[in-house]
Amino acid sequence: MTDQEILARWKEEPAPLLPVLHAFHARDGYLSEDAIRAVSKGLRIPLADLYGTITFYHHFARVPGGLGCPRVCTGPVCVQEGALDILAELAPEGATGMPCSGRCDDPVPVLRGHLTLAGRSAADLVARPAPLPPPAPEGAAECVFRTIREPGHATLAGYRRDGGYEGLARAVREMTPVQVVEAIDRSGLAGRGGAGFPTGRKWRAVAEADGTPKSIVCNADEGEPGCFKDRALMDYDPHAVIEGMIASGYATGAHRGFIYLRYEYPETEDILAEAIREAAEAGILGPSVMGSGFAFDLHIRRGAGAYICGEETSLLNSMEGKHPFPRNRPPFPVTHGFENLPTVVNNVETLASVPHILALGAEWYAGLGMNGHAGTKVISLSGDILRPGNYEVPMGLPLERLLYDWAGGPLEGRTIQAVTMAGLSGGFLAGDDLFVTLDEPAIRARKSFLGAGGIMVFDDSRDMVEVAHAAMEFFAHESCGKCFPCRIGTQRLTERLAGEAGPDAVVAWVDEVADIGYTMKETSACGLGTAAPLITESLMRYFPDAVSRHVTGHGALPMAGPRGTEP
Amino acid sequence: MSTNGTRPTIVLDGEKVAFTPGETVYEAATRHGKDIPTLCYDPRLEPFGGCRLCVVEIEGARTPVASCTAQCQSGMDVRTRSARVEVHRRTLMEMLASENREVEVDELTSLASQEMTELVDRYEARTGRFEGRQSGASRPDDPNPFIMRDYDNCISCYRCVRVCAEQEGDYAISVKGRGFDTQITVEFDGHLKESACTFCGQCVQTCPTGALGDLKALAHREVEGETKKTRTVCPYCGVGCSVDLLTRGNQLIGVQPAMDGPANLGALCVKGQFAFDFIQHPDRLAHPLVRGEDGELHEAGWDEALDRAAEGFLRVRERYGRHSVYGVASGRAPHEAAYTMQKFIRGGFGTNYIDNCSRA
Repeated sequence: MTDQEILARWKEEPAPLLPVLHAFHARDGYLSEDAIRAVSKGLRIPLADLYGTITFYHHFARVPGGLGCPRVCTGPVCVQEGALDILAELAPEGATGMPCSGRCDDPVPVLRGHLTLAGRSAADLVARPAPLPPPAPEGAAECVFRTIREPGHATLAGYRRDGGYEGLARAVREMTPVQVVEAIDRSGLAGRGGAGFPTGRKWRAVAEADGTPKSIVCNADEGEPGCFKDRALMDYDPHAVIEGMIASGYATGAHRGFIYLRYEYPETEDILAEAIREAAEAGILGPSVMGSGFAFDLHIRRGAGAYICGEETSLLNSMEGKHPFPRNRPPFPVTHGFENLPTVVNNVETLASVPHILALGAEWYAGLGMNGHAGTKVISLSGDILRPGNYEVPMGLPLERLLYDWAGGPLEGRTIQAVTMAGLSGGFLAGDDLFVTLDEPAIRARKSFLGAGGIMVFDDSRDMVEVAHAAMEFFAHESCGKCFPCRIGTQRLTERLAGEAGPDAVVAWVDEVADIGYTMKETSACGLGTAAPLITESLMRYFPDAVSRHVTGHGALPMAGPRGTEP
Repeated sequence: MSTNGTRPTIVLDGEKVAFTPGETVYEAATRHGKDIPTLCYDPRLEPFGGCRLCVVEIEGARTPVASCTAQCQSGMDVRTRSARVEVHRRTLMEMLASENREVEVDELTSLASQEMTELVDRYEARTGRFEGRQSGASRPDDPNPFIMRDYDNCISCYRCVRVCAEQEGDYAISVKGRGFDTQITVEFDGHLKESACTFCGQCVQTCPTGALGDLKALAHREVEGETKKTRTVCPYCGVGCSVDLLTRGNQLIGVQPAMDGPANLGALCVKGQFAFDFIQHPDRLAHPLVRGEDGELHEAGWDEALDRAAEGFLRVRERYGRHSVYGVASGRAPHEAAYTMQKFIRGGFGTNYIDNCSRA
């Protein structure tokens, strides 16, 4: 395709920048200066602005052949599964690392162009589908995984065979938009991307907001290390996401939807595109959804490698072709979202829950939780655990039961030293706090949070300071650079955990790390900066001896004592 | 919003004060004399919310709130200087001091160049805590004669990027990379000359750390004496931008835009900002010259020169009429000279054929 053909293909579509850049990237194998100049001119984006925005994303190659170079996942689980050896072995091919790419249940993923390979060594790398969720224990009641393991479920025929699109059919034919919002409200469904905002309230706000066109955005930028649930949902149940989005559009009066998909899931993009094609062909998407007269169109927008774009306002800026800094709030996306118009931004899991709620009822969903908590949560469990994978647990399940009964416990001869919460953002839980129940209030009481539901397990063979260092390095790598506390704080904490800078007396070291963390938590502009210090905070809380050894370079010392004075 | 026809109020450090709907907490607080620290704030630009120094405590909010982006709401109870926010401000200033090569920069660097230094002092942040790698890479290779690009001292507040886009409309400056590796740059990391930059200097004058500097002014840093500022209007064109001329003794050492200039609000163009060399240029005429019998120009006294000029003018007017003269005043002449010139043409010759190159 010529420059002009690419531009003409996308120019009149909403949110054209990312698809245009991907088209040039795929055509040339990198983004050349000429390509960037053509895009700047074609989409009328100032050249300097466009250049800066492109450099923000990890995966846009700027040298010829760059796209073809392998990218090896160096996420927390993968480095323990041989990622660095693979990286070294593929170095002659120009391999580079990439942050956790969401395949912790089947490490180590390596991206080659539009293909994901996986294996524990360079010689073993094969292209294979990401794993299905492992079977749920006897009697566990599921929502989003209820039908996902049925063969052929990802096709329209299979999805319909399993009861798919029945909820939507009822909604658009028999229910008013207000009734749909009320049903979601009654179910207690809350944002499953981590923020936990009540979905019904969000939809109502968009339904009542002035301004059109409204949009439904599915946040599929699953960038949190240790999280791979949205990939499983989209790969094995793409129509559930589509059905949830259409229902959300119907409930709020939005006629267009966008799936913002993370770069690292190329196969998922194909699966979604095929599902959208099937749905459109069957009249489920398009000018009259299931003959109801309600119109809804769906677009996929692929990210380009930036964790912060999972933050909803960064995501919206990214879609709009702007520098993906988070926006100041208020106003919130429900009134000022995509193109400053009312927008629902929901996580994949949230939207995939909707069809089941519409089909089986709000009360059914609300009743799935334990101890008064509504519904279920998918936990992506990985690391030093016998059966890693995605588990849909009732809200309020004891963590211990998930780790030992559902997932088989630690590896032979090992004990569980610590787990992460919310992927990495919730820091660590260890010791007695491993007896927590999996619901937000219980986990928050332990100074962490459940978030998107990624749990990585570290057994007693792991160096927790090194784990913390790698975690903070990730946050530093992904900090957008907009606000001072996060931009500088993540860097300074990384240097201290690496032993590259900072005091060599324990008390002074702890003081600095605690002061940086306190200011990051209280003044950062978005969740990245406020959550990152949970890593250091929980490290110092659970592993003071390891911290002492790290700072002084020798045996365990008390956190404060005769040696713990200024040098 | 308003009650009983009165303006809505917030409580500001215990005192009830009125606000205008739409006003931010920072604006209301500043209007009431509060000195809230900021580094990413420029009143001419959209609030950005980057530096977080302006955080205040608002009753009911779990954590401090950036006052620059928070709008006043009736009944809000705001504390602008609580111990909690002061602790964060000090930590932030210590963090900032740790990422730059130096905190002290020459006052000639730019109008806003002392902002960071002043806050480092106010928060006693020269503690050396949080040491580590420094951010930003300077561009001493940029050959332009106007703007110093010393990003070793950059704190990524993006005031330069935003003023270039929002005020000047040039979009020449942008942000490369992210996080601690953020780098202020232009397209393809080039030099300013090859970019969309028009050298208006607004980025320089809003830079709070001296990372961007006025090379013309800095060239005079060795000139002795106290710096004096004189407010005047730029003569280069018809807009009427207010400027402050910086002088030491009898020497002009720099030009700074007037943020309160009604026509420009701190904006200038390359000429008004940087083009003042001619005033003290050695090539400038210092004596009248008259053309001799030999056809060459020779130094002469004022009486002789004026007589010769008057004689010539009179002769032309007598022979060709009053409209035979057309006067064009120079934009490089002082306003007083421009005024005298038009008076001379209008009154002296009786013609309206008078113009000024600044009329553009």
